[in-house]
Amino acid sequence: MALWGMVIDLDRCTGCQACVMACKAENNIPAVGMKEAHKERVISWMQVLTETGEDQHGAKMRFIPRPCLQCDDPPCTKVCPVYATYRNPEGIVAQIYARCIGCRFCMAACPYNAKYFNWHTYQKEAPGQNPDVSLREKGVVEKCTFCHHRLQRARERASAEKREFDPAEYVPACAEACPAQAIVFGDLSDPASEVAKLAHSPRAFRLLEELGTKPKVFYLTEGEAGG
Amino acid sequence: MAGWVSPGVEQPIAFPHKTHIALKVPCTGCHQQAEKGSAAGRPPTALCAACHAASDTKDPEIAKLKAYAEKGEEIPWRRVWRLPSHVFFPHRIHVAIAKISCQTCHGPMENLDRPPPRPLKILTMSDCIACHTERKLATDRAAGAKLSKVRAQQLSSDCIVCHR
Ligand code: SF4
Ligand code: SF4
Repeated sequence: MALWGMVIDLDRCTGCQACVMACKAENNIPAVGMKEAHKERVISWMQVLTETGEDQHGAKMRFIPRPCLQCDDPPCTKVCPVYATYRNPEGIVAQIYARCIGCRFCMAACPYNAKYFNWHTYQKEAPGQNPDVSLREKGVVEKCTFCHHRLQRARERASAEKREFDPAEYVPACAEACPAQAIVFGDLSDPASEVAKLAHSPRAFRLLEELGTKPKVFYLTEGEAGG
Repeated sequence: MAGWVSPGVEQPIAFPHKTHIALKVPCTGCHQQAEKGSAAGRPPTALCAACHAASDTKDPEIAKLKAYAEKGEEIPWRRVWRLPSHVFFPHRIHVAIAKISCQTCHGPMENLDRPPPRPLKILTMSDCIACHTERKLATDRAAGAKLSKVRAQQLSSDCIVCHR
Protein backbone atom coordinates (compact mmCIF):
# COMPACT_ATOMS: atom_id res chain seq x y z
CA MET A 1 0.00 0.00 0.00
CA ALA A 2 1.30 3.39 -0.91
CA LEU A 3 1.78 6.09 1.71
CA TRP A 4 1.24 9.43 0.03
CA GLY A 5 3.32 12.35 1.18
CA MET A 6 4.65 15.72 0.21
CA VAL A 7 7.88 17.66 0.59
CA ILE A 8 7.85 21.45 0.36
CA ASP A 9 11.17 23.18 -0.19
CA LEU A 10 11.06 26.53 1.64
CA ASP A 11 14.17 27.61 -0.24
CA ARG A 12 12.23 27.42 -3.48
CA CYS A 13 8.88 28.82 -2.36
CA THR A 14 8.51 32.44 -3.40
CA GLY A 15 5.17 32.96 -1.72
CA CYS A 16 3.44 33.51 -5.05
CA GLN A 17 0.23 31.71 -3.97
CA ALA A 18 -0.13 29.75 -7.20
CA CYS A 19 -0.70 26.62 -5.11
CA VAL A 20 -3.46 28.36 -3.17
CA MET A 21 -5.30 29.39 -6.31
CA ALA A 22 -4.81 26.05 -8.03
CA CYS A 23 -6.25 24.32 -4.98
CA LYS A 24 -9.27 26.63 -4.92
CA ALA A 25 -10.03 25.98 -8.56
CA GLU A 26 -9.48 22.24 -8.31
CA ASN A 27 -11.53 21.65 -5.20
CA ASN A 28 -14.46 24.03 -5.74
CA ILE A 29 -13.45 26.10 -2.76
CA PRO A 30 -15.96 28.90 -2.27
CA ALA A 31 -15.18 32.58 -2.07
CA VAL A 32 -16.95 33.48 1.16
CA GLY A 33 -17.19 37.24 0.59
CA MET A 34 -15.95 40.27 2.49
CA LYS A 35 -18.39 40.11 5.40
CA GLU A 36 -17.55 36.50 6.14
CA ALA A 37 -13.85 37.15 5.67
CA HIS A 38 -13.98 39.78 8.41
CA LYS A 39 -15.34 37.07 10.67
CA GLU A 40 -12.29 34.95 9.81
CA ARG A 41 -14.34 32.43 7.88
CA VAL A 42 -12.17 32.32 4.78
CA ILE A 43 -11.77 28.81 3.40
CA SER A 44 -8.39 27.96 1.94
CA TRP A 45 -7.28 24.35 2.09
CA MET A 46 -3.82 25.44 1.05
CA GLN A 47 -2.58 28.53 2.75
CA VAL A 48 0.78 30.30 2.55
CA LEU A 49 1.69 31.21 6.12
CA THR A 50 4.15 34.04 6.47
CA GLU A 51 6.72 34.56 9.14
CA THR A 52 8.82 37.70 9.43
CA GLY A 53 12.44 37.19 10.39
CA GLU A 54 13.09 39.03 13.64
CA ASP A 55 16.83 39.25 13.30
CA GLN A 56 16.58 41.01 9.94
CA HIS A 57 14.25 43.71 11.33
CA GLY A 58 11.39 42.39 9.28
CA ALA A 59 13.42 42.55 6.11
CA LYS A 60 13.07 38.85 5.43
CA MET A 61 9.87 36.88 5.05
CA ARG A 62 9.51 33.17 5.34
CA PHE A 63 6.73 31.53 3.37
CA ILE A 64 5.27 28.27 4.57
CA PRO A 65 2.67 26.70 2.28
CA ARG A 66 0.36 24.69 4.53
CA PRO A 67 -2.12 22.13 3.19
CA CYS A 68 -3.64 19.58 5.55
CA LEU A 69 -0.49 17.83 6.71
CA GLN A 70 -2.18 14.44 6.42
CA CYS A 71 -0.89 13.43 9.85
CA ASP A 72 -0.11 9.74 10.05
CA ASP A 73 -1.37 9.84 13.62
CA PRO A 74 -4.07 12.45 13.16
CA PRO A 75 -5.59 14.02 16.25
CA CYS A 76 -8.59 15.27 14.23
CA THR A 77 -9.94 11.83 13.37
CA LYS A 78 -9.84 10.56 16.93
CA VAL A 79 -12.38 13.06 18.19
CA CYS A 80 -14.97 12.68 15.46
CA PRO A 81 -18.08 11.16 17.03
CA VAL A 82 -19.49 9.92 13.73
CA TYR A 83 -16.45 8.60 11.82
CA ALA A 84 -16.79 11.35 9.23
CA THR A 85 -13.05 11.91 9.16
CA TYR A 86 -10.59 9.04 9.19
CA ARG A 87 -7.19 7.97 7.94
CA ASN A 88 -7.59 5.79 4.86
CA PRO A 89 -5.36 2.76 4.16
CA GLU A 90 -3.02 4.88 2.05
CA GLY A 91 -2.57 7.48 4.73
CA ILE A 92 -4.89 10.12 3.31
CA VAL A 93 -6.99 11.76 5.99
CA ALA A 94 -10.44 11.77 4.47
CA GLN A 95 -13.43 13.94 5.19
CA ILE A 96 -16.88 12.61 4.33
CA TYR A 97 -19.17 15.61 4.00
CA ALA A 98 -22.40 13.66 3.86
CA ARG A 99 -21.55 12.14 7.20
CA CYS A 100 -20.22 15.17 9.06
CA ILE A 101 -22.60 16.61 11.65
CA GLY A 102 -20.67 19.86 11.96
CA CYS A 103 -19.74 19.56 15.61
CA ARG A 104 -16.28 20.95 14.80
CA PHE A 105 -14.49 18.78 17.36
CA CYS A 106 -11.96 17.93 14.68
CA MET A 107 -11.26 21.60 14.02
CA ALA A 108 -10.48 22.07 17.68
CA ALA A 109 -8.23 19.02 17.63
CA CYS A 110 -6.19 19.96 14.56
CA PRO A 111 -3.06 21.73 15.74
CA TYR A 112 -2.46 23.19 12.28
CA ASN A 113 -5.82 24.90 11.66
CA ALA A 114 -6.17 22.89 8.50
CA LYS A 115 -9.92 22.35 8.73
CA TYR A 116 -12.62 24.79 7.72
CA PHE A 117 -16.28 25.11 8.63
CA ASN A 118 -19.02 26.04 6.19
CA TRP A 119 -21.03 28.67 8.03
CA HIS A 120 -23.35 28.97 5.03
CA THR A 121 -24.02 27.18 1.79
CA TYR A 122 -21.55 29.32 -0.06
CA GLN A 123 -22.05 28.04 -3.58
CA LYS A 124 -24.50 26.52 -5.99
CA GLU A 125 -23.75 24.24 -8.87
CA ALA A 126 -22.44 26.31 -11.76
CA PRO A 127 -20.38 25.84 -14.90
CA GLY A 128 -16.66 25.79 -14.31
CA GLN A 129 -16.76 23.75 -11.15
CA ASN A 130 -14.83 20.54 -10.96
CA PRO A 131 -17.38 17.73 -11.34
CA ASP A 132 -15.04 15.33 -9.53
CA VAL A 133 -15.39 17.17 -6.24
CA SER A 134 -18.66 17.79 -4.42
CA LEU A 135 -19.87 21.18 -3.27
CA ARG A 136 -20.01 21.43 0.46
CA GLU A 137 -23.17 22.48 2.19
CA LYS A 138 -23.76 24.61 5.22
CA GLY A 139 -22.74 22.97 8.46
CA VAL A 140 -19.94 20.64 7.41
CA VAL A 141 -16.20 20.75 7.87
CA GLU A 142 -13.89 20.51 4.88
CA LYS A 143 -10.17 20.09 4.31
CA CYS A 144 -7.46 19.19 1.85
CA THR A 145 -7.54 15.56 0.70
CA PHE A 146 -4.29 15.57 -1.32
CA CYS A 147 -6.64 15.84 -4.35
CA HIS A 148 -7.69 12.25 -3.74
CA HIS A 149 -10.03 12.38 -6.76
CA ARG A 150 -6.94 12.74 -8.94
CA LEU A 151 -5.60 9.49 -7.56
CA GLN A 152 -8.84 7.78 -8.47
CA ARG A 153 -8.85 9.27 -11.93
CA ALA A 154 -5.29 8.11 -12.53
CA ARG A 155 -6.11 4.61 -11.31
CA GLU A 156 -9.20 4.47 -13.45
CA ARG A 157 -7.26 5.55 -16.52
CA ALA A 158 -4.60 2.92 -15.84
CA SER A 159 -7.11 0.11 -15.58
CA ALA A 160 -8.99 1.30 -18.66
CA GLU A 161 -5.69 1.06 -20.51
CA LYS A 162 -5.03 -2.35 -18.91
CA ARG A 163 -1.77 -1.45 -17.21
CA GLU A 164 -0.47 -0.95 -13.69
CA PHE A 165 -0.89 2.54 -12.29
CA ASP A 166 2.31 4.54 -12.00
CA PRO A 167 2.51 6.74 -8.86
CA ALA A 168 3.97 9.52 -11.01
CA GLU A 169 0.54 9.95 -12.59
CA TYR A 170 -0.91 11.21 -9.33
CA VAL A 171 -0.01 14.81 -8.55
CA PRO A 172 -2.17 17.16 -6.47
CA ALA A 173 -3.15 20.49 -8.01
CA CYS A 174 -0.86 22.55 -5.76
CA ALA A 175 2.25 20.57 -6.65
CA GLU A 176 1.35 20.72 -10.31
CA ALA A 177 0.85 24.49 -10.25
CA CYS A 178 3.94 25.55 -8.29
CA PRO A 179 6.09 27.51 -10.75
CA ALA A 180 9.15 27.17 -8.50
CA GLN A 181 8.67 23.40 -8.25
CA ALA A 182 8.84 23.72 -4.49
CA ILE A 183 6.31 20.95 -3.92
CA VAL A 184 7.32 17.34 -4.50
CA PHE A 185 4.65 14.68 -4.17
CA GLY A 186 4.82 10.91 -4.14
CA ASP A 187 4.84 7.62 -2.30
CA LEU A 188 6.75 7.80 0.99
CA SER A 189 6.72 4.03 1.35
CA ASP A 190 8.90 3.64 -1.75
CA PRO A 191 12.49 4.41 -0.65
CA ALA A 192 13.48 5.07 -4.26
CA SER A 193 10.93 7.84 -4.74
CA GLU A 194 12.11 11.43 -4.76
CA VAL A 195 9.69 12.38 -2.02
CA ALA A 196 11.01 9.65 0.30
CA LYS A 197 14.61 10.66 -0.36
CA LEU A 198 13.89 14.33 0.33
CA ALA A 199 11.93 13.46 3.46
CA HIS A 200 15.10 11.86 4.81
CA SER A 201 17.32 14.79 3.87
CA PRO A 202 19.08 16.55 6.76
CA ARG A 203 17.14 19.70 5.83
CA ALA A 204 13.79 18.02 6.40
CA PHE A 205 11.57 18.94 9.32
CA ARG A 206 7.88 18.79 10.13
CA LEU A 207 5.59 21.34 11.73
CA LEU A 208 5.12 20.89 15.48
CA GLU A 209 6.89 17.57 15.30
CA GLU A 210 6.96 17.34 19.08
CA LEU A 211 3.19 16.75 19.15
CA GLY A 212 3.64 13.30 17.65
CA THR A 213 1.10 13.83 14.89
CA LYS A 214 3.58 12.48 12.31
CA PRO A 215 2.63 14.78 9.42
CA LYS A 216 3.23 13.38 5.95
CA VAL A 217 4.00 16.86 4.68
CA PHE A 218 7.68 17.58 5.19
CA TYR A 219 9.47 20.90 4.81
CA LEU A 220 13.04 21.55 3.77
CA THR A 221 14.61 24.42 5.72
CA GLU A 222 16.16 27.38 4.00
CA GLY A 223 19.85 26.97 3.30
CA GLU A 224 22.69 28.96 4.83
CA ALA A 225 22.38 31.69 2.22
CA GLY A 226 19.01 32.57 3.64
CA GLY A 227 20.63 33.12 7.03
CA MET B 1 -35.53 7.98 -3.61
CA ALA B 2 -37.68 10.39 -5.57
CA GLY B 3 -39.30 7.43 -7.28
CA TRP B 4 -41.42 6.61 -4.25
CA VAL B 5 -43.05 9.96 -3.85
CA SER B 6 -43.17 11.57 -7.27
CA PRO B 7 -46.07 10.82 -9.61
CA GLY B 8 -43.55 9.36 -12.04
CA VAL B 9 -41.61 10.65 -14.97
CA GLU B 10 -43.28 11.00 -18.36
CA GLN B 11 -41.04 10.86 -21.39
CA PRO B 12 -41.60 12.77 -24.64
CA ILE B 13 -41.50 9.52 -26.62
CA ALA B 14 -42.75 6.12 -25.46
CA PHE B 15 -39.42 4.43 -26.07
CA PRO B 16 -39.61 0.62 -25.84
CA HIS B 17 -36.37 -0.89 -24.55
CA LYS B 18 -37.76 -4.36 -25.25
CA THR B 19 -38.07 -3.85 -29.02
CA HIS B 20 -34.52 -2.60 -29.29
CA ILE B 21 -32.98 -5.33 -27.16
CA ALA B 22 -34.95 -7.89 -29.21
CA LEU B 23 -33.16 -6.52 -32.29
CA LYS B 24 -29.89 -7.39 -30.52
CA VAL B 25 -28.84 -3.80 -29.91
CA PRO B 26 -26.71 -3.88 -26.75
CA CYS B 27 -27.37 -1.28 -24.01
CA THR B 28 -24.08 0.42 -24.83
CA GLY B 29 -25.06 0.57 -28.49
CA CYS B 30 -27.16 3.61 -27.62
CA HIS B 31 -25.88 4.57 -24.16
CA GLN B 32 -22.37 4.88 -25.53
CA GLN B 33 -21.06 7.20 -22.84
CA ALA B 34 -21.50 4.48 -20.23
CA GLU B 35 -18.29 2.87 -21.43
CA LYS B 36 -16.39 6.12 -21.78
CA GLY B 37 -17.31 8.49 -19.01
CA SER B 38 -18.74 8.88 -15.54
CA ALA B 39 -22.26 9.68 -16.67
CA ALA B 40 -24.01 7.24 -18.98
CA GLY B 41 -25.87 10.09 -20.62
CA ARG B 42 -28.60 9.88 -23.20
CA PRO B 43 -28.09 8.91 -26.80
CA PRO B 44 -27.98 11.88 -29.17
CA THR B 45 -30.98 12.18 -31.49
CA ALA B 46 -28.69 11.78 -34.49
CA LEU B 47 -27.88 8.27 -33.29
CA CYS B 48 -31.56 7.32 -33.17
CA ALA B 49 -32.15 8.97 -36.51
CA ALA B 50 -29.30 7.09 -38.15
CA CYS B 51 -30.99 3.73 -37.52
CA HIS B 52 -34.50 5.02 -38.06
CA ALA B 53 -33.81 6.74 -41.38
CA ALA B 54 -35.81 4.19 -43.29
CA SER B 55 -38.35 3.21 -40.67
CA ASP B 56 -42.08 3.45 -40.83
CA THR B 57 -43.37 6.93 -40.01
CA LYS B 58 -46.89 5.65 -39.49
CA ASP B 59 -45.90 4.74 -35.97
CA PRO B 60 -46.70 7.91 -34.00
CA GLU B 61 -43.72 7.47 -31.68
CA ILE B 62 -41.26 7.10 -34.54
CA ALA B 63 -42.90 10.10 -36.19
CA LYS B 64 -42.12 12.12 -33.06
CA LEU B 65 -38.52 11.01 -33.22
CA LYS B 66 -38.28 12.02 -36.86
CA ALA B 67 -39.80 15.41 -36.08
CA TYR B 68 -37.10 16.07 -33.50
CA ALA B 69 -34.41 14.87 -35.87
CA GLU B 70 -35.66 17.07 -38.72
CA LYS B 71 -35.71 20.12 -36.48
CA GLY B 72 -32.20 19.21 -35.39
CA GLU B 73 -33.33 19.15 -31.78
CA GLU B 74 -32.35 16.83 -28.99
CA ILE B 75 -35.21 14.83 -27.55
CA PRO B 76 -36.00 16.33 -24.13
CA TRP B 77 -35.73 13.04 -22.24
CA ARG B 78 -36.36 13.42 -18.57
CA ARG B 79 -34.10 11.95 -16.00
CA VAL B 80 -35.41 8.94 -14.10
CA TRP B 81 -32.32 7.75 -12.29
CA ARG B 82 -30.59 10.19 -10.00
CA LEU B 83 -28.00 9.45 -7.37
CA PRO B 84 -27.70 11.79 -4.41
CA SER B 85 -25.21 14.55 -5.20
CA HIS B 86 -22.74 13.32 -2.59
CA VAL B 87 -22.28 9.99 -4.34
CA PHE B 88 -19.72 9.68 -7.12
CA PHE B 89 -20.46 6.79 -9.40
CA PRO B 90 -18.35 6.42 -12.53
CA HIS B 91 -20.08 4.29 -15.15
CA ARG B 92 -16.89 3.58 -17.08
CA ILE B 93 -15.19 1.60 -14.38
CA HIS B 94 -18.30 -0.46 -13.64
CA VAL B 95 -19.30 -1.08 -17.25
CA ALA B 96 -16.08 -1.23 -19.24
CA ILE B 97 -13.61 -2.47 -16.65
CA ALA B 98 -15.55 -4.47 -14.07
CA LYS B 99 -18.01 -5.64 -16.76
CA ILE B 100 -21.03 -5.55 -14.49
CA SER B 101 -24.26 -5.98 -16.38
CA CYS B 102 -26.43 -2.87 -16.53
CA GLN B 103 -29.35 -4.80 -15.06
CA THR B 104 -27.45 -5.31 -11.81
CA CYS B 105 -28.30 -1.74 -10.87
CA HIS B 106 -30.99 -0.76 -13.35
CA GLY B 107 -33.20 -3.85 -13.13
CA PRO B 108 -34.74 -5.77 -16.04
CA MET B 109 -34.95 -2.84 -18.48
CA GLU B 110 -35.02 -5.28 -21.41
CA ASN B 111 -38.61 -6.24 -20.57
CA LEU B 112 -40.01 -2.73 -20.84
CA ASP B 113 -42.24 -1.87 -23.75
CA ARG B 114 -42.60 1.72 -22.55
CA PRO B 115 -40.40 4.05 -20.49
CA PRO B 116 -40.40 3.37 -16.76
CA PRO B 117 -41.98 6.18 -14.74
CA ARG B 118 -39.56 5.47 -11.92
CA PRO B 119 -36.39 3.43 -11.43
CA LEU B 120 -36.97 -0.31 -11.49
CA LYS B 121 -34.62 -0.72 -8.58
CA ILE B 122 -33.93 1.55 -5.66
CA LEU B 123 -30.36 1.14 -4.55
CA THR B 124 -29.02 1.92 -1.13
CA MET B 125 -25.45 2.15 0.06
CA SER B 126 -25.69 -1.41 1.41
CA ASP B 127 -26.20 -2.65 -2.15
CA CYS B 128 -22.97 -0.97 -3.29
CA ILE B 129 -21.05 -2.22 -0.27
CA ALA B 130 -22.40 -5.75 -0.58
CA CYS B 131 -21.24 -5.97 -4.20
CA HIS B 132 -17.84 -4.48 -3.46
CA THR B 133 -17.27 -6.85 -0.57
CA GLU B 134 -18.40 -9.91 -2.46
CA ARG B 135 -16.38 -9.14 -5.58
CA LYS B 136 -13.33 -8.28 -3.54
CA LEU B 137 -13.46 -11.66 -1.85
CA ALA B 138 -13.95 -13.41 -5.17
CA THR B 139 -11.07 -11.53 -6.82
CA ASP B 140 -8.84 -12.16 -3.81
CA ARG B 141 -9.52 -15.88 -4.04
CA ALA B 142 -8.99 -15.99 -7.79
CA ALA B 143 -5.84 -13.93 -7.90
CA GLY B 144 -4.34 -15.18 -4.67
CA ALA B 145 -1.38 -13.08 -3.69
CA LYS B 146 -1.08 -11.70 -7.17
CA LEU B 147 -4.01 -9.28 -6.91
CA SER B 148 -2.61 -6.02 -8.18
CA LYS B 149 -2.64 -2.93 -6.00
CA VAL B 150 -4.86 -1.18 -8.49
CA ARG B 151 -7.61 -3.76 -8.40
CA ALA B 152 -7.46 -4.07 -4.63
CA GLN B 153 -7.90 -0.36 -4.22
CA GLN B 154 -10.74 -0.12 -6.70
CA LEU B 155 -12.76 -2.80 -5.00
CA SER B 156 -12.27 -1.20 -1.66
CA SER B 157 -15.07 0.03 0.52
CA ASP B 158 -13.10 3.09 1.54
CA CYS B 159 -15.66 5.90 2.10
CA ILE B 160 -13.65 8.52 0.22
CA VAL B 161 -13.78 6.52 -3.00
CA CYS B 162 -17.47 7.35 -3.53
CA HIS B 163 -17.96 10.32 -1.20
CA ARG B 164 -15.56 13.10 -2.06
S1 SF4 C 1 -17.14 18.46 12.52
FE1 SF4 C 1 -17.72 16.67 11.27
S2 SF4 C 1 -15.77 15.62 10.82
FE2 SF4 C 1 -15.37 17.07 12.48
S3 SF4 C 1 -15.57 15.88 14.35
FE3 SF4 C 1 -17.60 16.82 13.97
S4 SF4 C 1 -18.73 15.32 12.73
FE4 SF4 C 1 -16.57 14.69 12.70
S1 SF4 D 1 -3.19 18.57 9.71
FE1 SF4 D 1 -5.04 18.77 10.97
S2 SF4 D 1 -6.69 18.17 9.61
FE2 SF4 D 1 -4.83 17.42 8.67
S3 SF4 D 1 -4.62 15.30 9.44
FE3 SF4 D 1 -3.44 16.62 10.81
S4 SF4 D 1 -4.85 17.08 12.47
FE4 SF4 D 1 -6.10 16.33 10.77
